[in-house]
Amino acid sequence: MKSVKAAKRLSAFVRYFVLVVILLMLLFPLYWVVLTSFKTNMEAYAYPPTFIAENPTVQAYISLFTENAEFFVYYKNNLIVSGATAILTTLLAVLGGYVLSRFHYKWNSLVAAILYASQMFPVVSRMISLYGLMGKVHLLNTRTGLTLALLGAMVPFTTMLMSSFFDSIPRDIEEAAIIDGCTRPQVLSRVVLPLVKPGLLSVGIYSFLMTWDDYLHCATLIQSDELRTLSTGIALRYLGELSYDWSLVNTISVVAMLPMILLFFFFQKYMVKGLVAGAVKG
Amino acid sequence: MATTAANKVRRRTTLTQRQGDTIFSLLLILPTILVTTIFILVPVVDSVIQSFLDYKMKNIISGNPGTWNNFENYIKLFTNSKLGPAILQTFIFCVIVVVAQFILGMALALVLNSNIKCARFFRSIMMTPWCVPTVISALIWMWIFQPQYGLMRYIVSVLTFGQVTDLAMLNSPSTALLGIAIAALWKQVPLSTLLLLAGLQNVPGEIQEAATMDGANARVCFFRITLPYMKSVIKVVLSMAIIENFKQFPLIWTMTGGGPNNSTTTLAVLSYREAFVSNNLGSGAAVTTVWMLLMIVVVVVYNKLMGDNETS
Repeated sequence: MKSVKAAKRLSAFVRYFVLVVILLMLLFPLYWVVLTSFKTNMEAYAYPPTFIAENPTVQAYISLFTENAEFFVYYKNNLIVSGATAILTTLLAVLGGYVLSRFHYKWNSLVAAILYASQMFPVVSRMISLYGLMGKVHLLNTRTGLTLALLGAMVPFTTMLMSSFFDSIPRDIEEAAIIDGCTRPQVLSRVVLPLVKPGLLSVGIYSFLMTWDDYLHCATLIQSDELRTLSTGIALRYLGELSYDWSLVNTISVVAMLPMILLFFFFQKYMVKGLVAGAVKG
Repeated sequence: MATTAANKVRRRTTLTQRQGDTIFSLLLILPTILVTTIFILVPVVDSVIQSFLDYKMKNIISGNPGTWNNFENYIKLFTNSKLGPAILQTFIFCVIVVVAQFILGMALALVLNSNIKCARFFRSIMMTPWCVPTVISALIWMWIFQPQYGLMRYIVSVLTFGQVTDLAMLNSPSTALLGIAIAALWKQVPLSTLLLLAGLQNVPGEIQEAATMDGANARVCFFRITLPYMKSVIKVVLSMAIIENFKQFPLIWTMTGGGPNNSTTTLAVLSYREAFVSNNLGSGAAVTTVWMLLMIVVVVVYNKLMGDNETS
């Protein structure tokens, strides 16, 4: 009996040990960034480093808000581009996903195969060609062009994700509605859509998060600084030029990631559902 | 069956239900097809064509089409030995991140799935790194790896009892790729954990109990019951990780720009540098074409290894 108890203790210890080690690896870097952003530059460059700010200061935040107007221009651009992309992506994903889930024509499986394969193409290979194509239709260096290119990147995965949400809605409901005299469009807009609202939210937020993360599309399709989005703007402006002002860089990191983290936690229920639905079927 | 029922009700319409459905579904899927064709398929095919042309940035500016150059883009890439090392770096990076990600993700998922206190709370907070934009995660790790004042230098010097005091992870060709891999893992482990956890929760508990009753120990239970049950999830998690890291660009570009001494120049970095830094779009396209071919090989081999279609 004693050995069983000891084994149980040992297994509990191992489990908590693994948990603590991995969580520490995942969360400590975030603490470190937040901590550095509240340190004075003097303290940030102290070696060995301090693990609690000795003289906490919001100086870096103040200087970010007062002296770095372009950071907020990037921010605004990113909100516009990601917001527009998320809305358009969700719209297309709903329409396409509904068809893939409900109608089983031969060409539907071809479309599904193409959508699946589309996720694998390297972004750079698309950008090399889109750079020329966008130039021809005068969409180079515009937010519209960037939004469209990102829409193309997001649509394949989100359409397939959306179709797995539709799969979970029983067909009988729709058939009943048709017998009651609803037309197909009415069935979709009045009967099915309210039922997949969680799916809509998770697809929308997912595409917002993913386009917020974009670097390559913006780096290649946008040339003027005042049209850049956050990731590209930060990488091009604050690295190199100011690469020694680490407390400013850490402050920028905090301000740039905070909304995404809040967004995720606020809609966590839907996000988790959506992410899992994409991978785990049945 | 329901279609015929609906037909009887809606006989007044001129179109039959079936034709109506066909048109309706075509209309709905059309935007998706258009967007995918215009922004993915056409560009990808176009870039393959460009890889055979002498096509530079000045061609775009002056509007001159590229000219056929007898595979010169490819020949140059192979002869000046840029391509080989880049392929090697890509594979090394991909293997390190995918394997470590799976082990760490599985370990954390198993712990969170056991009856541990506050598992739901831990599951939510562990997702935080996943929400951090890639470029920001690069900045976070560059600060940690900073050669003079960085946290990692301090930690390593403490752990080695002062033996290694000058660790400069990203500045040395032998460790730079590992440094980037750590940053990539940090961002990607949460999602794999979440998915693997969902897979674990789908494994029926009764079977595990029955096996335990029959005297199977935890290890046998895990390899004979849990893993086979999770096969489809594992397949998805691994293929997502492979694709993502095979394509990884912003992280590497921000952290090292491909250096030092080209030690982190993967195919993504090489193609971007050829196309948009050296302004030789044709050469960049040649790199991405080779890259796509390798991607296809990897996917085919992967599907073979994972025993295709058993689950779908």
